[in-house]
Amino acid sequence: MSVKAHVDAKRTGKGRFYTSAELGSARPVETVILVLLGLTMLLPFAWLVSSALKTRAELVKVPPIWIPEVPQWQNFIAVFREVPLLRFYFNSFVTAGGITLSVMITSAMAGFALAKYKFKGRDLVFQGILATMMLPAFIFVIPVYYMMKRVPFAGGNNWLGVGGFGLLHSHLSLILPFAVSGWGIFLMRQFMIGIPDDLLDAARIDGASEAYLFFRIILPLTKPALATVGIFTFITHWNNLFWPLIISTSAPELTTLTVGLKMLSMSFDPNRNAHLILAGLTVGILPVVILFASLQGYYVKGMVMSGLKE
Amino acid sequence: MLTSPLDAKYVGWSNYSYIFTKDKVFLKALGNTFIYAMSVVPISVVLSIFLAVLVYRQKRSSIWRLIFFLPTITTPVAIGMVWMYLYRPNYGLINTILNLFGFKSLDWLNNPKTALLSIIITAIWANIGANMLILYAGLKDIPTSYYEAAAVDGASGWVRFSKITLPLLKPAILFVVVTGMISSWQVFDFIVAMTAPTLGRAGGPINSTMTMVLYMYQTAFEYMYMGRACAMAYVLLIIIMALSLILLRMFRRGGVVSY
Repeated sequence: MSVKAHVDAKRTGKGRFYTSAELGSARPVETVILVLLGLTMLLPFAWLVSSALKTRAELVKVPPIWIPEVPQWQNFIAVFREVPLLRFYFNSFVTAGGITLSVMITSAMAGFALAKYKFKGRDLVFQGILATMMLPAFIFVIPVYYMMKRVPFAGGNNWLGVGGFGLLHSHLSLILPFAVSGWGIFLMRQFMIGIPDDLLDAARIDGASEAYLFFRIILPLTKPALATVGIFTFITHWNNLFWPLIISTSAPELTTLTVGLKMLSMSFDPNRNAHLILAGLTVGILPVVILFASLQGYYVKGMVMSGLKE
Repeated sequence: MLTSPLDAKYVGWSNYSYIFTKDKVFLKALGNTFIYAMSVVPISVVLSIFLAVLVYRQKRSSIWRLIFFLPTITTPVAIGMVWMYLYRPNYGLINTILNLFGFKSLDWLNNPKTALLSIIITAIWANIGANMLILYAGLKDIPTSYYEAAAVDGASGWVRFSKITLPLLKPAILFVVVTGMISSWQVFDFIVAMTAPTLGRAGGPINSTMTMVLYMYQTAFEYMYMGRACAMAYVLLIIIMALSLILLRMFRRGGVVSY
């Protein structure tokens, strides 16, 4: 019996040596502590959703009212009228979606090459990719900003990259800096190394092309890993603020949801129109949080696997 | 707005010497970021170890994991903005709760003495769930037979925790400490969301919440000193690299080789 099966048998109580006090045997006091901590986690969300439906007068009441007398649905209408939330959603979707698509494709392909082909300098390339994972994003911000501005022939630039604004007014400026991920390549390589070479050689003898090997054998076998890479990348970049903030300062039409939410406090008076800001935040996070929460397994796997690099 | 790289002049180390000798705000940001990282990481890791064990011992752990997962995936900016309202001096939920227990109201974010503390509390709240989930995955990998053997030998709950759980959890703990340090030194979103409506004035009151990445951002994109901002980025990079190495060493020396 494998360790995993052994542990599972213990957890379900099927194995009968249930002497350990460690499993499924929380004392009431522990549950009470957990409930209190859980409430602390949920309270800000509950307060946000209820405040979004309050009038200004109800919002500032002490002690707070949790269920507004008349739910103020028009708060949401006011927000949508004042702030292009749908546009922000669209920009975030294009950005996070574009990055995710690109990361998935490049990670799978580069991972395949690094795992299953022998070529000169392969290990050096791989170590170089590993090294990029050590560098935090802020270090690239200023040079990459220059690069985006000075792309030749884009946005009115001449062949030297001078004269126009480069890619700064295009979604590409949000996508390209993150289009390839060292972490994603590393992860896919690790998964593909586990696939036996004999399998590929057998297919080669049967006359399968290298493209066939990649699309029909490698990809189906690494689907779970690819899904993890994709979902983790999407959530990370959906929530990213730093880079979109820099880009949208000069190109307001590229404002993503994170930047747009921050700007709610400039569109509305943070004191007098707090209820409208809170309504905007509700619309901005609730649908996504519900969607992301359903992907918990993938996300946690992504987090844990990002630790493999050490 | 931006000088062309062709017009740029070579200035030697002057950007570095400027930020360390003349730039008081940079030094303040360095200090604030230090305080922030050194309080958020240890506190949230200790709390999340505690929390992971609690959740692990529950029969229905999946619902608990879901609850603590929510702050992890919520946009940090939105978290910061909601907490900004929770910290409101007159009607904020936090002061209401404090008053309930007989404590005095605080002017959390507007008082330079408590502003950084407020942000640290929010950050701990937001980080604890992600750490817990990683540690929980680590706990699940520990074979229960170890606990059974220890229980047969008469080891108490605390002994089992300190002699079995903690050593075997070490790789997971190392991971949350190192990644926590790396991300805490780069704190940006919470400060931007909580301290001012506009970016140029974020980091207040009187720079009490100014952090390195935020100041780097302002130096580069508000004041347009790109070279100085790049120097700051390198200082921060060296700090992060050095810290990660020290932490890895520390944990290795402790016995269990991690990863």
